[in-house]
Amino acid sequence: MNPIAYRLFAAAVATVLLTGCATEPDAEQSLEAARDSFQKVKEDTDALRYAPRDVIRAGDSLSRADRLSTYWGSDADVQHYAYLSQRYSAIAAEHTKLSVNQERQAKLQMDVERLQLNLREAKLLSVQQQGKWLEEQINLAATETNRGLVLTLGDVLFDASDAELKPAANRTLLKLVQFLQLNPRRVVRVEGYTDNRGSREENLELSKARAQAVADTLIDLGIDQSRIQAVGYGADFPVTENASSRGRAQNRRVEIVFSDDQGKLGSDR
Amino acid sequence: MIHRRTLAIAVALVALAGCTKDPAPIEQMRLTEQAVAQAKAVGADEQIPEMVLAEQKLARAQKNMNEQDYKRARMFAEQAELDARLAEGRVLTSKSEKQLADLNARIKRLHKQLGAMQ
Repeated sequence: MNPIAYRLFAAAVATVLLTGCATEPDAEQSLEAARDSFQKVKEDTDALRYAPRDVIRAGDSLSRADRLSTYWGSDADVQHYAYLSQRYSAIAAEHTKLSVNQERQAKLQMDVERLQLNLREAKLLSVQQQGKWLEEQINLAATETNRGLVLTLGDVLFDASDAELKPAANRTLLKLVQFLQLNPRRVVRVEGYTDNRGSREENLELSKARAQAVADTLIDLGIDQSRIQAVGYGADFPVTENASSRGRAQNRRVEIVFSDDQGKLGSDR
Repeated sequence: MIHRRTLAIAVALVALAGCTKDPAPIEQMRLTEQAVAQAKAVGADEQIPEMVLAEQKLARAQKNMNEQDYKRARMFAEQAELDARLAEGRVLTSKSEKQLADLNARIKRLHKQLGAMQ
């Protein structure tokens, strides 16, 4: 053998040895990995409970791979069954996770329902308390008259000879809306009044327009139209003298007359 | 006569040998296709590495079936089936994890709202 041929031969032998080495540990490695995976699921009581069939199959495939590894030239089969075993272990682990999650989900769902119930109860209680509070507020602001409970929206709500509601009215009206929402059987009569300046017709019209402005706002805020009447009395029924500008401002007003809690209103003036 | 007998025996042996060779894994192919379809149905896509493997191996198995290389076809099909089942499991688990997170977030919100009511 000349040196070159010898070298080639040596290289060829080395290659064969290397490939031999490369396949053996591959099979051994996948077998090892499969053993590790199987060991883990086998010791997992949840896995045995939730995915027993996959655990058993992982074990079966593993012993098959083990058995095959004692034969010569079965590396491909060893790797195949080791692969299957590892997959079965992974599937078992995944199904176990899923089942544990599902159990937890069912429990949390019950927690959610319980909390929702609590929250609804708490809200209901708070609405009832709020309703009482509002009623007290309205009662404080309103006065009991022979027409029933009357709430006067003060003189600052309208400019002279103007029917447009000033923003200052919003707070009171919002309270009123809440009160009406919490007392769905009560209805109201909105009465408009003016000072004595201007003609009788003009004042009647203006007072009606003022009452309607308040009624419209209540309707816009969600109170049903059927629960609200709007009337205008012009300069009639002043609350004070019309001699001073202060007195006139007080007479320019809107009064809200409440029905009783059965929806019965006092008669018109 | 003796010749014909020998021939018959030889033919029988060959036939037997043929029988012990790998049969076409028709049932396994069906199972694998089903597993891949099911994984897809729950939303497994190429984002899941196991799903990519399943599709690749199924394609290989189908190619091997056409070439009548049944041993390889069976191996690829068997692996593809488990790849697909694992992909399906991973998708379902990640969905359930998301649902758990949602539930926990809801519970937190509810506790907060209840706290604000006190």
